[in-house]
Amino acid sequence: MNPSNLTPIDIAITGLRAQSKNMQVIANNIANAQTTNAGNGEPFRRQLMKFMSGEDSLSGVRFDKPVEDLSSEFKSVRMPGHPDADAQGFVKMPNISVPVEMIEMMTASRAYQASAAVMKKYTETSEAALELLK
Amino acid sequence: MPQSPNISDILEAGLRANSLRQQVTANNIANVNTPNFKRNAVKFEEILADKLQEPGKIDISEVASEIIAPDNTPVKANGNNVEMEIEVGQLMKTAGRSKAYIRLLSKRYSQIESAINTNG
Repeated sequence: MNPSNLTPIDIAITGLRAQSKNMQVIANNIANAQTTNAGNGEPFRRQLMKFMSGEDSLSGVRFDKPVEDLSSEFKSVRMPGHPDADAQGFVKMPNISVPVEMIEMMTASRAYQASAAVMKKYTETSEAALELLK
Repeated sequence: MPQSPNISDILEAGLRANSLRQQVTANNIANVNTPNFKRNAVKFEEILADKLQEPGKIDISEVASEIIAPDNTPVKANGNNVEMEIEVGQLMKTAGRSKAYIRLLSKRYSQIESAINTNG
């Protein structure tokens, strides 16, 4: 592991990008909380972001495509007359709980703000060094 | 031994490159939603470092910045690869660097000034 040559601003940018993507995925989960057909005949499956540390040390966070949450089952809701209902009148709903997504959204937005605060603080600190040049 | 160029010339070249960089970044931000727009960046420090390695006298005014199109950001569905976070960070870094160059330049000028006003 080689130390990277990223500045604190570059590292904060990786955090901002990661959390921005995370919020996109959460917003998509919330928007699809009632989607009974995701195009493959199954309800929409909840997606999660997986974060990894950078390949070098001190190189921020990196992320891949969102992964599907296979840990929970689709919920069955009785809705006779629904176009996607089975013979007993049950419809399979996505494995999404809106309150959980809202909490995730708050965590993501706080993390985003934290990276933004790092950027701001770092520029303020560099100002102090620049003051010495006056 | 390579003859080292004038400090003020190097600082001026750096300032020029940074001003171009601000322009390029502003252009990227303006085109954040333009379909098929690809972001640009300015390459200067690497070019300058290479030039300073070369033997003989270097004419700093000949060291030109290059506008490059990096492709290390994901391309969105509309063919655009601008990410607001990267551009804002770039603006902050460029602003800080420009400030440092300006301070160093004014320091240099005040040195020259005190050399002129030896009795002052």
